[in-house]
Amino acid sequence: MTKGIWTRETVVLMLLAAYLPLAVFWLWFGGAPAVQRSSLALLVLGFWNLVFLLARAQAISLALAITALAIAMLAPEGLGTFRLVLGISFGAVMGELVFGGWGRNVVHPATVALSFLGFGFPGFPWPDFLAPVAWAAIPAALIGLATGVLPGGVIAGAALVAAVTFALGLLSQAALPAAGIVLVLLVADPVTSATTHFARWLNGALYAGFVTLFAAGWQGAAPAQYAVAAALLTSLAAPLLDEMALALWYARRRRRHGAQ
Amino acid sequence: MIDLSFRSGLAPRFASPPSGPLECDDFVTEEAGLRAMPGQAPRVAMEVEQGALVAQGTPIARLRSAPEICFVAQMPARVARIDLLQGHRLSEIVLFREPGGDPVRHDTSGADTEAGLRLLMQNAGLWPWLGRRPFGGMPAPDERPAAIIVMATDTAPLAPDPRQALTGREEAFGRGLHALAGLTDGPVLVCQQPGPPLFDAALAGRVRTVDCGPRHPQGSAGLRAHALCPAGLDRPVWDIHAEDVAHLGDLLATGILPMTRLVRVGGEALREGRLLRAQPGADLRGLAHRIAQPGAHLLLSGSPLDGHEAHWLAPRHRQVTVLPRRAAGAQPHWLIAALTRSGTPKPVIPNAALDQAFGNTLPAAAFVRALGSGDDETAMKMGLLSLLEEDVALADYVLGGDAHLPGLLRAMLDRIRTEFAA
Repeated sequence: MTKGIWTRETVVLMLLAAYLPLAVFWLWFGGAPAVQRSSLALLVLGFWNLVFLLARAQAISLALAITALAIAMLAPEGLGTFRLVLGISFGAVMGELVFGGWGRNVVHPATVALSFLGFGFPGFPWPDFLAPVAWAAIPAALIGLATGVLPGGVIAGAALVAAVTFALGLLSQAALPAAGIVLVLLVADPVTSATTHFARWLNGALYAGFVTLFAAGWQGAAPAQYAVAAALLTSLAAPLLDEMALALWYARRRRRHGAQ
Repeated sequence: MIDLSFRSGLAPRFASPPSGPLECDDFVTEEAGLRAMPGQAPRVAMEVEQGALVAQGTPIARLRSAPEICFVAQMPARVARIDLLQGHRLSEIVLFREPGGDPVRHDTSGADTEAGLRLLMQNAGLWPWLGRRPFGGMPAPDERPAAIIVMATDTAPLAPDPRQALTGREEAFGRGLHALAGLTDGPVLVCQQPGPPLFDAALAGRVRTVDCGPRHPQGSAGLRAHALCPAGLDRPVWDIHAEDVAHLGDLLATGILPMTRLVRVGGEALREGRLLRAQPGADLRGLAHRIAQPGAHLLLSGSPLDGHEAHWLAPRHRQVTVLPRRAAGAQPHWLIAALTRSGTPKPVIPNAALDQAFGNTLPAAAFVRALGSGDDETAMKMGLLSLLEEDVALADYVLGGDAHLPGLLRAMLDRIRTEFAA
């Protein structure tokens, strides 16, 4: 019989298409080191996915390419191969694979890996992003929104709060490139962000709020560092936001239709 | 907000040759089958023997639990085969057409009272055309619904337009609506595409018109019920097709229940489409005869989304889909199979298409998660009891059939029914 197309792998392919501009610009300006880091991340993630395929019959998903891109782009620099492999392994296994693979995870594996690397090995410099790479986050978001794989509410909510705080002078311009890239890569991930309409707006707003807070109050932190920390906290709060939005929805339906 | 929800939904395209104008004469197939909706096998007591000659409208079988509810002959015919499962459960009864004889005329004098109207509808064989939520199936003979939804729109792909079925029958439709309003204390909601009113404005009061958007699943009874008057365990909601309401109007006026309905035959494996009036239970091969492309094909009763392979048109269906029968593909290479298939089904990733597949009326991703994890209580809070398999068929299609939503929904409904019956 006939079937629609929106299986897990189609969503992954659309996400990859969305991240393509970002990846191309970053690799273009990053050169050989960037290629090296992403290859290493891909290799380690591929290995762990293969282990879980053989041990637990978990089908491999191309989503590992997204995770690899996010880790390679955002991980602190100069960590060396061993620490990087350790961080990626921790993120992939504890953040995603033990839950049953991509689509069943609670937190984005790249967020876990980056937080592990950031908190575990402080002192290494976080990457800075050139203007063209940061601008490439905008076409990425647009492609994701047009294909419907990135949640529009998350991006709109974050953009709205960022615009307000920026206009009030609370958010510095230096924070924007890294925050935008983290928003597209980690926060707007369809699996780990909130899934109800209202909660998505809250989710985006919460992320932008955390970024503003950290930018103002976290002395000595790099933009990428506090953006990743904000992403981690936001994705941990996403289920709570969903519950809140659902409670509101239940209440509204009860008011409209009476107790059922 | 209202405008947004009006535009929501999807318009999946299925290849089909255009159907010509409505064929003038009723097309009554030579064979027809009496059957219940898929998945149901009610216990029946037979009224006639195999080989008996019956007129149109003659009761052929009665429900054991409610003998006033009849299954009637859709055409003058000879009872060719009676197929019952164990415990007198109805599988199918096959009729061969034998023209001649007047249709059975019912006494409509008692139809002014509610009890008389119910009895008339049950004896005339109209009862199985009613649907009920929660749980599906036909309503119990004395059940009073909290609301009745009249579907004068059908957004399923390749579905015939109910407005066309009602052309020239506004008076009968109005009479039917008036009668239906007597069966419930709640509203009678006529869901239609925006356009001229379908019934006399004098009826207004409990009969209300609801405009629906053009995209699926806006015209599916379950999501309409979910949005307008959710069904609950002790709040049943009925739904009935507008054409059947017009039939009820005719039954009240003449005592004879019309037995043909507007049916569209469409699908990829046809040379030309067809729009005709056929009887419920019509032989699908008869309907697709001479218009199907050569080669093996699949005859579905219902739309390409929720249709099922069948021999006879289901009691509540109004479309036939003819698809090419594709040979089973070769086995994938073992390595590809190992990499892509796994013991557990693949997770559902929330995306915009999934939200639209539920017409933006409920938190789609959370609902699908509740279905998948067997969380009955959350699913019930989200409106599970208003839905049936046909309402989640679009979402299942959109997700590539990996999620098995209709099966999960049916299992959950059955579980809830046994739990609350105890």
